[in-house]
Amino acid sequence: MFSKKTKFLSIIIGFFLILIFIFFEKPLKSFFYSSSLPLQKALWQAGDKVSGFFEGISGIKNQSKENNYLKSEVEGLLAQIASLQELKKENEKLREALSIGLEKDFKLEMVSAVGKDVSGDVILINKGAKDGLKEGLPLINSQKIIYGKISEVSDKTSKVILISDPNSSFDGAISGKDITGLVKGKGNFNIYFDLIPKDKEFSKNDLVVTSKLSGTFPAGLLVGEIVDIVQDDVKPFKTAGIKPFLNINDMENLFVIKEW
Amino acid sequence: MVKRIFILFILFYFLTLLQTSFLVHFPFFLKLPFNIVLIAVIFINLFESSEKNLGFFSAIIGGFFLDFFSDNFIGFNILILVSFSILIKFIIRRYVRIPVIKRI
Repeated sequence: MFSKKTKFLSIIIGFFLILIFIFFEKPLKSFFYSSSLPLQKALWQAGDKVSGFFEGISGIKNQSKENNYLKSEVEGLLAQIASLQELKKENEKLREALSIGLEKDFKLEMVSAVGKDVSGDVILINKGAKDGLKEGLPLINSQKIIYGKISEVSDKTSKVILISDPNSSFDGAISGKDITGLVKGKGNFNIYFDLIPKDKEFSKNDLVVTSKLSGTFPAGLLVGEIVDIVQDDVKPFKTAGIKPFLNINDMENLFVIKEW
Repeated sequence: MVKRIFILFILFYFLTLLQTSFLVHFPFFLKLPFNIVLIAVIFINLFESSEKNLGFFSAIIGGFFLDFFSDNFIGFNILILVSFSILIKFIIRRYVRIPVIKRI
């Protein structure tokens, strides 16, 4: 079908293309992401709206039940807020008395997700090195829910490895209790809490937050809530399943913490 | 042939963008190992004559775009999709005799 000359030329061209892809992979990928950014953003927003529409239709029958549940939750939370306000005032007075400075606010950069990696729990955001982003910076939303950290930066885009990716792990703690452990990703937006000391007691629905032990993330960012506890007599530690608060459908307005 | 390859390029570029930016919002597609690029490559190879090679080129182009929009090195998905293409062609040539399928 093809002449010898054509076959030989195809092999040579193929060889040089392979060399280009090996040595210039990063700049080529960076160029691809930058040029696809407007289209990816449009598709992401369209997907968000369409899925929201279908979710609304499918959720109609549960709305009344959900409303009643949310009303009772709100009442309980209002009572908690009232008691926490008192504690906050007391805390501020004590800090003043002991001359401890208040924690400074984070320096934030607003970003939004434009795509998700086909191979894992990695997302692409619409800002990069030109906006002062660097590898290792955490990504949160406005409710201080931790989403992940930046793994790769190019000029106009960055890749963020989500906390549910199997390659992700960081120190976590159970809010209000002196219990720390390692939060690890399982893939497909699942995470679990590992290396929890056996003698520590905690229960379902306990909140898991980030801990500042290793310095990966600032302390106190919301991770998720405990859904099940696994205690194996053979293993020296407990593990617990966590339902993460991060939501793939709520990635429009996210923030990268540039300084903490 | 060149025109068909160009069309494949555009088609797989849009399919990959659809996969990474649109379908991620639908839980059904997230939970299953769903890959519309792989499905497109399989269909092109299935409904093409076993002597033709457009399916082979579709595997290379589809894999190329999947590699660009993933964390893997360039060539990872190309190898997988080309293997699928070769396997489908081999099975159809050796074992499938369905005269009703209209050859492209």
